[in-house]
Amino acid sequence: MYIYLPIAEVSMHIGIIIGLGGGVGFLSGLFGVGGGFLMTPLLIFFGIPPAVAVSTEANQIVASSVSGVLAHMRRGNVDFKMGAILMIGGVIGSTLGVALFSFLRDIGQIDLVIQLSYVVFLGIIGALMLTESLRTIIRSRKPGAVRGKLHQHNWLHGLPLKMRFRRSKLYISAILPLGIGAFVGILAAIMGVGGGFIMVPAMIYLLGMPTSVVVGTSLFQIIFVTANVTLLQSIQTQTVDFLLAGLLLFGAVVGAQFGSRAGALLRGEQLRGLLALLVLAVCLKIGYDLVVRPEDLLSVELRR
Amino acid sequence: MTGKRRMIRKWGMTLVGLVMLVAGPAMAAPKQIVADLSNSRVDITSSYHGTELLLFGAYEGMPGDDIILVVQGPATDIIQRRKAKRAGIWVNVETKVWQEAPSFYHVFATDSLPSIADEEALSNATVSPLAGGLTFIADRDDAANGHGGGEKPASSGPAIAGDPEQQNNLRRNMEANGLWQVLPSSIVTQQDMLFRASLSLPSNIPTGDYSVRVLHFRDGVALSERTTDMNVRKAGLSALIYRFAHDYSALYGIFAIIFAVASGWLAAVAFRRK
Repeated sequence: MYIYLPIAEVSMHIGIIIGLGGGVGFLSGLFGVGGGFLMTPLLIFFGIPPAVAVSTEANQIVASSVSGVLAHMRRGNVDFKMGAILMIGGVIGSTLGVALFSFLRDIGQIDLVIQLSYVVFLGIIGALMLTESLRTIIRSRKPGAVRGKLHQHNWLHGLPLKMRFRRSKLYISAILPLGIGAFVGILAAIMGVGGGFIMVPAMIYLLGMPTSVVVGTSLFQIIFVTANVTLLQSIQTQTVDFLLAGLLLFGAVVGAQFGSRAGALLRGEQLRGLLALLVLAVCLKIGYDLVVRPEDLLSVELRR
Repeated sequence: MTGKRRMIRKWGMTLVGLVMLVAGPAMAAPKQIVADLSNSRVDITSSYHGTELLLFGAYEGMPGDDIILVVQGPATDIIQRRKAKRAGIWVNVETKVWQEAPSFYHVFATDSLPSIADEEALSNATVSPLAGGLTFIADRDDAANGHGGGEKPASSGPAIAGDPEQQNNLRRNMEANGLWQVLPSSIVTQQDMLFRASLSLPSNIPTGDYSVRVLHFRDGVALSERTTDMNVRKAGLSALIYRFAHDYSALYGIFAIIFAVASGWLAAVAFRRK
């Protein structure tokens, strides 16, 4: 059964939409990630216009982040103060990101910037994750491994506007989380992702937050960043496809449940290694599309 | 699908019969042509995945006559981009905006177009997506600023801009996405009196007001012409969502967020105790 998506203005088989939601949902449940970095390229691959894919995916991530954050809140794994600072940065960043997105779309370069952002950031994060997990797997085979310090002090800790974050056991400058929030916000708006895959490593390695609160706090701020993108894209470009988001959501909710159950069967470093391979695969596929000669150098688009 | 097709055909033939009765007296006048569509309104509902319409009619013909049918969509700006290799990757380097071009242009005919009439006669009868006259602006900045479209270039150029190669490139691009098409031998005639054609409309059809022109050709000359209107619009749920998103965009955004928060929360509650 085909369904006509009113905003994307594309007719798509309902099985493909729910299957995409379910498949990406399964992987996001398995690895504990949002899955935007998989879903947005897949939607574009299946013929959804990039602008609609990015905006609609933001809307869907609102839902998956809400359902994810609730579990972390019950366990007290959300640093609300840190989350609020990150969120302020994120709302500023994503507002800039939406404006940048519209500008790039008008000059015909949005596809290129989306693809380049994916290649660069997925490449960096994937490579880092892969080496980290391989090192852990190798180290775990050697007995008597020593654990490093919780976090190092560097020049970043000398910045003004210091704040105390009790839940994260940190006393650092608010400028740092504000900046990280803003940077990830810009990327989230352009790439159609929540940005957890950049936020989580940044929180651990740059802010030095304890790993227990990292995922919950990241999810908490992603809700607001993606809600901001949803609202701004609705107002400025009318590219949020409510019907598409709803159907993806339906598949994703069910898929995530199976994914998280499957995830319990694997060890942490194994999961991270697999996730790293997946991230790198997406990066390579998009990178390949950029370097290979297109079938037709000319393309057309109707102005709406 | 075949069932549907058969139904359309059966129904179509009944209608053709009716047209014959009604058109009987009219056919006494010279070079008359009458035509109608099985449905002059195409509703794009949530289940829309392309559709088929039947166009049928009667004409006063002779053996060897031909019928050409042109389905033309609303005019719009077509943005054409050219890629080139820069620093090892393929990048859009040039933008051309074809102004007020037909967003949809399907040509049906009883034979191949060259064997019906020569290029000049076809052009005089405006049987070409370019025949109405086409201009483009090849300025990158105009592409960026001209949102909403419609503005004309300062100097009025020739009726059809660009060299034949540029025109053919546009044609090729528009044919690749199925919006422009020439379908030879797609009209069936009977006894040089009746004709019918099955118009299959693609799923990516632009919305708006269409014209369906029927032309009667004899010895390479257009004898008569008849135009019927057609309207393609979103309907039902898809129209509702579209209108909501465009007319109350802020409210739509808030509604989308509330829906997402509610369904995320529901999902968490539903799967809490497994």
